[in-house]
Amino acid sequence: MNRYSNMAIGIVLLFGLTLFYMGTDGFRAFTAETARVNNLIEEKPTFPNVTFQDSKERAYSIDEFKGKYVLVTFIYASCTTMCIELEMNTAEIVEQIPADYMGKEIVFLSVSFDPKRDTPAVLDQYRQIFDSDGETWRMARIEDQNKLDSLLKKFGVIVIPDDYGNFTHNAAFYLIDKTGTLIEVLDYKKSDEAAKKIVKILDTEARGNL
Amino acid sequence: MKQARFGLLLFLFLLIPPVAHLLESIMIIHMHMQMPLLVIAGFLMAPFFQKRFPRLFENWNHAGIPGILLVTIVWLYWMIPRTMDDALTVQSVEAFKFFSLPFLVGVPLRDSWKKIGLTVKKIIFIGFTILFFGMGILYIKVPVQLCNNYLLIEQITLGWGFVTMAICIVIYLWYFVFMDHSKYE
Repeated sequence: MNRYSNMAIGIVLLFGLTLFYMGTDGFRAFTAETARVNNLIEEKPTFPNVTFQDSKERAYSIDEFKGKYVLVTFIYASCTTMCIELEMNTAEIVEQIPADYMGKEIVFLSVSFDPKRDTPAVLDQYRQIFDSDGETWRMARIEDQNKLDSLLKKFGVIVIPDDYGNFTHNAAFYLIDKTGTLIEVLDYKKSDEAAKKIVKILDTEARGNL
Repeated sequence: MKQARFGLLLFLFLLIPPVAHLLESIMIIHMHMQMPLLVIAGFLMAPFFQKRFPRLFENWNHAGIPGILLVTIVWLYWMIPRTMDDALTVQSVEAFKFFSLPFLVGVPLRDSWKKIGLTVKKIIFIGFTILFFGMGILYIKVPVQLCNNYLLIEQITLGWGFVTMAICIVIYLWYFVFMDHSKYE
């Protein structure tokens, strides 16, 4: 073992450390999904101007919810796997929100990324599965595919259609604040944790207003 | 030198955008065909560099340890689920893939393999076997998608690919242990 080899070992180790550090955002993100969520929370993008059409065939933009928090999820009604879990967990959050806040301080919105199949009628049926009232928890589609795509891109929602009319997609709870800015991306599997966090945010807000 | 030329040719072929795109469109081919082929291209090109810079390899990779360490680190890096995604979405990562696999894995692997002792070889083999089993089980069992750009079913396929590789290495090791080496040396 000579001097150069020892030096080379040092250089290689240092290079490796730098490589792993940079490749994982400082050992924080080992999958692209974690990296995406970390980035979103840092960036805080605003909700783009899109037109929703909900299960009651009403059309509006995100301004409809101005002055309220909005918890957004992205789904499609013919989904047989992840969306069901996602919406079940959304329902669990809904249950944990105090009645005073529901609809006044916070609104739930499930956005379909399959506008061709998810017509208002389909969404109306779909919402009943999860006991959504269609008011404080709405389900809507965005008919304009371009606008839908730009929203998905902005919020890092990746949707890959497969050969059987299904989609592979990632999922999360997206919390939008009263000005239409994305402030939190929460793990969709941990509904209790998410509910606690949301109630806490609403409580602080309510106390501030007194 | 003929080998080096074939290596260069293979490397250039893999660089052609439609070829790269096709290989990357399927997860298991991305990881278990394109990436190893890039390493092989570097492996074939190695004699060119060894002849051109004999002192460099002699001095800096004296007993083969720095080289094999570099190989291990870079290969491990490409096993992080995120790097495969980033290679598809971030151009600089994609460029780094095409540089690192031939030149930081293929070339040093060939230079080091002859120099390192049997013990190090054993460590490398056993280490990677365990790693491949581990990665395989991770990709098969984890219910969430590890890579955003691929379908879940592809992830499971890749997992089985890893397990298959690991089994192949185990068979090789088995054979190696029970082979009568004196007949060949």
